[in-house]
Amino acid sequence: MGSIGPVLLRTVKALAYLAGGLVAGVAGLVWAVVSTLVTAVLSVTQLGAPVFLGATWVTRRFAGLERRRAGWVLGAPIGSPYVPVRGRSLRERVLATAAQPATWRDLAWLIALFPLGLAGGVAAVVVTAVDLGAILAPLWLWAVPNPHAPFPARPLMTTVPGRFALVVLGLAVLPPAAWFVRWLAGLVAAAARALLAPGLHRRLVEETERLAATRRRVVDAQAAELRRIERDLHDGAQARIVAAGMTLALAARKLRTAASAGPSAAGPSAAGASGGADVGADIGLARRQLDEALAELRRLVRGIHPPILTDRGLHAAVAALAGDSPLEVTVDGDAERYPAAVESAAYFVVAEGLANAAKHAGASRCTVTLARAGDAVRVRVTDDGRGGADPAGSGLDGLRRRVEALDGTLTIDSPPGGPTVLHAEFPCAS
Amino acid sequence: MRIVIAEDLLLLREGMVRLLTDTGHTVVAAVADAPGLLAAVAEHRPDLSIVDVRLPPGFRDEGLRAALELRAAAPDTKVLIVSQYVERAYAAELLADGRGGVGYLLKDRVTALDDFLDAIERVAAGGTAMDPEVVRQLFTRGARHHGVGALTAREREVLDLMAQGLSNSAICAALFLAPVSVEKHITGIFGKLDLPPADDTNRRVRAVLAYLNG
Repeated sequence: MGSIGPVLLRTVKALAYLAGGLVAGVAGLVWAVVSTLVTAVLSVTQLGAPVFLGATWVTRRFAGLERRRAGWVLGAPIGSPYVPVRGRSLRERVLATAAQPATWRDLAWLIALFPLGLAGGVAAVVVTAVDLGAILAPLWLWAVPNPHAPFPARPLMTTVPGRFALVVLGLAVLPPAAWFVRWLAGLVAAAARALLAPGLHRRLVEETERLAATRRRVVDAQAAELRRIERDLHDGAQARIVAAGMTLALAARKLRTAASAGPSAAGPSAAGASGGADVGADIGLARRQLDEALAELRRLVRGIHPPILTDRGLHAAVAALAGDSPLEVTVDGDAERYPAAVESAAYFVVAEGLANAAKHAGASRCTVTLARAGDAVRVRVTDDGRGGADPAGSGLDGLRRRVEALDGTLTIDSPPGGPTVLHAEFPCAS
Repeated sequence: MRIVIAEDLLLLREGMVRLLTDTGHTVVAAVADAPGLLAAVAEHRPDLSIVDVRLPPGFRDEGLRAALELRAAAPDTKVLIVSQYVERAYAAELLADGRGGVGYLLKDRVTALDDFLDAIERVAAGGTAMDPEVVRQLFTRGARHHGVGALTAREREVLDLMAQGLSNSAICAALFLAPVSVEKHITGIFGKLDLPPADDTNRRVRAVLAYLNG
């Protein structure tokens, strides 16, 4: 008999839900109709926007109540479907609110609740009243004379044994009646869930935010990784090669000292001297090879993460690029620091722009502009060359992928005859 | 010569100490960071400090900043900056005060030991030593001045060595030229680049670099 308690509780909750639906249905319909009409009428005036936002606020509270009420039947309240409204001006907020399907689904539920709540509530209340009436028949039926009731009812209602038979009948019908109330409540709550639960819109918005966040982490991790590689090369391979070069330099020096001291000592002086010269030449060769290895590593490091970018930031690094360019380059912008991934991508945009201007466009001067505009960083490279650059060129294509990984955009405008304008824009919260 | 070394990597610090000791110099202190450098220079008053650009804690350009700080406080402090990469901008900052006694070399240059020891002597004597890589960067940039284009190949070579901080006699030795012809080339260079004639090596380096930086 342990299962009676929970079942009874669920039935009582279902009954409360359906009975409450009678009130909520009427209130919901009235609010939906009145608020829609008022908002519609006021929408032509200045008051339209605040009234719409206010009405939506109330509707959302109402819908929130409905979500909690449906929780009596569903076991847990329905989740909230709203997406945070962003926007600075009233107009932006109104548009953002209106664009959310949840705003309109709330209203749809308040209207649908009227017939559903009415039908469900009436059915549940009638079934419960009749069954409880039958079970409690001996207590009240004696007070209601029914001399003209038709056959099966008259003996049941007018005689004492008949009334007790009604009790038995009522108790027998109680389980199916309770089941019916719960089923009905489940039906209405399911309809509520269909309209009030988070829809595809909310799920897509959440999924997009999640993807953007994970991608941001990947990009940040990649930038950190590149810097780590640069550090590792600096402290590891490069340092070891320099150390080897030092040892080699000392060896060459010792060899020279020995060779100059050699002839004074007796013995195979001629053979020793020529052998020493050979070794000296080999050491010189090894030294040059080490130098080449270091030069190659330096080129590699510049390609993955230029040291001056770490040291001094984007503006200084771009100024260094400008200084290394054979063109006359003007750099506009301040020395603000941006996230490492943005600085790195922006640096390579400028590097590519300057290289193209010098190599392909036949330009003689270039202007580089670095500027923050609100929540974005803009990088622009303008030359005075002959234009006609291919926007799908391999260098630009790789660059575009790099910029787009940061949610940025890269555009190139290069009409025949010039000028070429390379423009990149990165989102970057200030 | 009494030298202070500031280098964070143990391998290179010890290598440098050994290299200098073996060539007859005295390393009075070998430190691993910028505060250590400032303290060691204050304590030992060395003839020269050899400083890595990148030092702890930030591993950015602390070494360079410390060197500039030292020279701002005591103008006759001689500093040779070494690095695994060279930036024209850093060279310009080092030379900006217009006094000699500064150098800026790639760490690779220590492997050409004689040239490196020459550079040390030059800087300690109040001259300059600019890495050929810095000078090469300057030439790329200077190519837009038509004056540089008017130089002969030989004059370009002489200008290159002059910019590195070499004296006339060193240029003679490097290019196997007679002192007279080197002087003739230098006069030609100063004429073509429209620079005021100068005898002192430092003033010459500054004039050339200022021109190429322009």
